[in-house]
Amino acid sequence: MTTDEGLSPYPFVAQSTTVGAGATIGLVYGVVLRQLVSVGRIVALVLLALTTTVAGFAIGTSDTATITDAAGIIGNLGLAVVVPVVALVFGGAALGDLREDKTLVYLWLRPMRRFPVVFGAALAALTLVVPVAIPPVVLGSALTGVKEGIVIATVLATFVASLAYVAIFTFFGVWLRRYIVWGLAYILIWEGFIALGSAGVAQFAIRKYTRSILADITGADLQLADFSAAAGIGIPLAASIAALALASLCLARQDVD
Amino acid sequence: MSTVPLPSGRPTQPPPPSADQIPSPGPPPTGAPFTPPTPAQVAVPLDGKIIVDQVSKFFGSVVAVSDVSFAVDAGVTALLGPNGAGKSTLFRMMCGLTPTSRGTVSVLGADPRTDCAARSRLGLVPQQDALFEYLSAYDMTVVAARSHGLSGSDADAAARWALEQVDLADGDDKPVGQFSKGMRQRVKVAVGLVNDPEVLILDEPLTGLDPVQRRRMIALFHRLGDDGRCVLVSSHVLDEVARLGSNVLVVAQGRLIARGDYHDLRGLMDDRAHRIRIGVSDPRTLASALVERGLVTALNLEVGTRSDELVIDTADVDGLGRQIAPLARELGIRLTEMQPLDDDLESVFRYLVEGR
Repeated sequence: MTTDEGLSPYPFVAQSTTVGAGATIGLVYGVVLRQLVSVGRIVALVLLALTTTVAGFAIGTSDTATITDAAGIIGNLGLAVVVPVVALVFGGAALGDLREDKTLVYLWLRPMRRFPVVFGAALAALTLVVPVAIPPVVLGSALTGVKEGIVIATVLATFVASLAYVAIFTFFGVWLRRYIVWGLAYILIWEGFIALGSAGVAQFAIRKYTRSILADITGADLQLADFSAAAGIGIPLAASIAALALASLCLARQDVD
Repeated sequence: MSTVPLPSGRPTQPPPPSADQIPSPGPPPTGAPFTPPTPAQVAVPLDGKIIVDQVSKFFGSVVAVSDVSFAVDAGVTALLGPNGAGKSTLFRMMCGLTPTSRGTVSVLGADPRTDCAARSRLGLVPQQDALFEYLSAYDMTVVAARSHGLSGSDADAAARWALEQVDLADGDDKPVGQFSKGMRQRVKVAVGLVNDPEVLILDEPLTGLDPVQRRRMIALFHRLGDDGRCVLVSSHVLDEVARLGSNVLVVAQGRLIARGDYHDLRGLMDDRAHRIRIGVSDPRTLASALVERGLVTALNLEVGTRSDELVIDTADVDGLGRQIAPLARELGIRLTEMQPLDDDLESVFRYLVEGR
């Protein structure tokens, strides 16, 4: 206990003026992961993801299902709705929820560089997106019953999509107060409507690249899937890094409550 | 140090005198509007662990802080102001949580908004009641220690030390989400202390504490200040500030309107005209007698809806207090109530800002 006479001495500890990147990532990862875990949220998102499983099963029951039918379900439901929405909920909340509940100050006002903070938060979001979104979509692809590499392609495409969307929506969470609204607008209006109407605009949509992975590996005939699998992986990865860099810049300029 | 009411702005001519050269304007003439002091009275040498130099902050068209300058050094300093005065915005700028619109803020010679290392020497207890709800007090403090670069047993030792300072060392494994408001406040202070900061900024830290904890917390702030740390505490409660120490900065409407010794501030309050409601069986007779004796500067018999009360302005509260009971006895009238109408912080601010 403290005494009335004076303060008990601060313990002899090794203090530093900045926190290393590894320590920052580990700390933020743990804090954000625990903050993101909510049973209700996970159950709701698993149920959403299971729609792809059910759709895959329905395709599989048809004797005339082709690889294009199977890839279409994965591309139009799994990659266009399930993965982005799950990534939006977790990626946006990674730092967005901390800002909303005003606990961001406990990470912001610390001798930590901004990029590792953002990276740790995005990693925590990815840790939840991968098990929630990918298995049901991959299971759906397996249940279609077509054999032309659809499962491998789905694993790769959903993982790349998860990475890219988590990074983008982590940026949205830092940048925008109503990140869910803007994120849904991005998914449904930009990627789902505007990008479909023009090949030029589609180059700014993650969906185009993940569909390309699917089409390139399986040989399915998918709209807007005219890149190679390598480009389909490389460009979303580059976009992810850019999104995280923007998020860290935005975090540094943030008005924190 | 004397209490020095300040107008907005920091003069550049003549050169600022040293702190002990700053003359006190003294109490304003009784019952007269407050007169802003001359530039020589308000110039403040800017040297200290925290330097706020001609800082303004605008949120759109709203001016939250207007041209504020001051410096704070080791010891406890209270930032006093009513709700919405700009205290939290000033604190946020000092911590770098929001940029200034104009002017500069320096904490330990650096800008904490851009200087990563400067943040390692700074502690903040924010006003908002926000904690990681699922963590225990110990875990929350360990997380804070780790966020300052401590690891393993160092983080543990620092967390235990910080919790000890706020009487939470006994260990309660409950998540802080289940804590009372007072306990949460203490956890926030422990989090702010865990890196042994040279500058500790506490935004309304006494809110929600019971009287015993409030007293212990104030004692802790004094011990931290006595140890050479710069401790800046905000409050909108005048009595809290009385116990926080003699160094007071008074902020109202986004401006720094006075700084100096609490007792001088209190004296300034006591020396101005006071408005008092008197419940009395015969207001007219008492009013005449008070005027004859020069105890009132103004009176109003029509203010109250009741016919048995009188509202007076007096410059001599002590004299009135001594004389009114014998006077009532002498006049054969009965006093039922004496109620100060402006003995609160808001009225002090109004007086300092508007001279009324």
